[in-house]
Amino acid sequence: MTYDDQVIKLSNISKRYEMGGEQFYALRDINLHITRNDYVAIIGPSGSGKSTLMNILGCLDIPSSGEYLLDDQPVASMDEAELAKIRNQSVGFIFQSFNLLPRATVLANVMQPLVYRMLPTSERQNMAKQALQRVGLADKLGHFPNQLSGGQRQRVAIARALVTKPAILLGDEPTGNLDSKTTQDIMKLFDELHREGHTIVLVTHEQEIADHCQRVIRLVDGKVAKDSRNDAAQRERLHV
Amino acid sequence: MFSGLHAAIEGTRAALASIRAHAMRSALTTLGIVIGVAAVITVVAVMEGLSSSIDAQLDDLGSDMVTLRATTSQEQAMLGFSNKLSYDDFLVLKAKVKDVEDMSASMQAFSFGSTVSYGRETIQTQVIGTDSGYQKVIKVFPQQGRFIRSTDDDRRRRVVFIGESARKKLKLPDNPIGEFISLSGEWFRIIGVAEERGSLFGFDQDNYIIAPFSTMASLAGARVTENIDILFRPAAGADLDNVQTQIRQILRKRHHLSGDDKDDFEFITAKKTKESFAKVTTSVTLVAGGVVGISLLVGGIGVMNIMLVSVTERTREIGINKALGATPNFIMLQFLVEALVLSLFGGIIGLLLGWGLAVFISMLMPSMPGALVPGWAIALSFGFTTAIGVIFGLMPAVKAAKLNPIDALRYE
Repeated sequence: MTYDDQVIKLSNISKRYEMGGEQFYALRDINLHITRNDYVAIIGPSGSGKSTLMNILGCLDIPSSGEYLLDDQPVASMDEAELAKIRNQSVGFIFQSFNLLPRATVLANVMQPLVYRMLPTSERQNMAKQALQRVGLADKLGHFPNQLSGGQRQRVAIARALVTKPAILLGDEPTGNLDSKTTQDIMKLFDELHREGHTIVLVTHEQEIADHCQRVIRLVDGKVAKDSRNDAAQRERLHV
Repeated sequence: MFSGLHAAIEGTRAALASIRAHAMRSALTTLGIVIGVAAVITVVAVMEGLSSSIDAQLDDLGSDMVTLRATTSQEQAMLGFSNKLSYDDFLVLKAKVKDVEDMSASMQAFSFGSTVSYGRETIQTQVIGTDSGYQKVIKVFPQQGRFIRSTDDDRRRRVVFIGESARKKLKLPDNPIGEFISLSGEWFRIIGVAEERGSLFGFDQDNYIIAPFSTMASLAGARVTENIDILFRPAAGADLDNVQTQIRQILRKRHHLSGDDKDDFEFITAKKTKESFAKVTTSVTLVAGGVVGISLLVGGIGVMNIMLVSVTERTREIGINKALGATPNFIMLQFLVEALVLSLFGGIIGLLLGWGLAVFISMLMPSMPGALVPGWAIALSFGFTTAIGVIFGLMPAVKAAKLNPIDALRYE
């Protein structure tokens, strides 16, 4: 593993908020490196800074101080337009509530990130169809989100995250709105995507999700409290 | 630049989808603009149609014809005076003024009465006493019979030349030559019928009866000294100002006007008439323009209101798009294009509606000339609606662009 294989490098990342004149740290001096094709769970109780870290990792927010290199690009000092470009190119978001566009078809939803890439429509369609094929929804192209089950909606969202071939897939409680059976299906899909070479970071408070990952980072009070690797043999049992 | 174009195309796509999704609301939103543009197009089309037909008819009358008429100032009228042009004035002018092709005296026989009857039919009409020169100055041509000749005038013959409507209203036969009609109890023989001229502003131009000047004057007799109009046409190539100066000098002397006195007569030229019509149409257009401006402003505020609602409603969608890589500029352009499409939509519908309305109005009123929508009105309407779309779309678009993606994603 070379130094260059680190897709995420956080150095002394802090995030401060002002609340009623008092300063409040959501994140305090986070140092974190994530290598390519790693499979990471970020866990912690609510208020631990999970969401803030996830927003910073996804370039939706910038840190108050510190350095963040995403795919070797210094993100911490970028403005909103540059951040938008980075999100489009390097980050694939998967949200708890799916966040599909309700008035667009499945195909149009998956094509949406490519709209911001100035690609010809035919190419967008081909790429989106491939991504939907990968998640097993090639037969639902013309459906609208409200015609799909929760699991299917999340698969659409995963296809949308995959279509741009991003450096990282970033899941924010991706199974939070799903039943246990569907949760297993979706986690199986994440496991497969990991085996295919994707770098995956999941923010979750569920232990069984974290058990699927190679590496578990526990946040407490805005700091990394524990950074451990799961036992490979134990993970194998989950992949049955 | 290319990314701007790209955003505009994608923005248009998104805008059309959103307008389709809220068809009813979009229709109501654009209603203000539809009404505004329809109003401006209707007014302009009708006014343009009117003024172009006025110009044509005035040209038909002869744009070089000049009418000389007595004027009475308000102070004089209050003292009971009324200035007149006499037949002697006319004779002197006719003899002395150079560079004049034709000159004719004409008398409106108000005091003599304008009740005319034939058989059982009695009508009110315009009775004019004039000489043979009138035909050339006014360009009135007989469709049957002949006009008044100087011998009719010299011998005070009791003959009349009538307009086509007067003939119809009196229920005279198709060929009325030789029939007798009664003018305030005096009998006159019909010697000719004029070609039809149609109507102007709803005024019938063919309802008149013309008798020899001297016949009318003698019938009016000692009751009153008639006031006459003097019509003339300057000779080809002659300077109208010079002719007017000659006439002014002669008349001022004859009317004993001293240096400070104002003229007690005025020259009415077709050009002057055209100008005063143009003034009327311009001021009507301006007033209408003001009303339309206000209605377009209201329409624009309607568009802004709906766009603001739309931004709030689609906060989450905006958040999603931002997370997927939409830049603030892209979002702004998309909403701006949506406002623009909405208001241009309104502009197109308004244009068609206004056009239809103008055609309908001109069909309803038979005397109304055909409606005319000039290119500048179309350009102006579109310019205006475009401006409204941009101006009133800007605020909502900026609001959308400035949304924080994290907050927007959390918005319920």
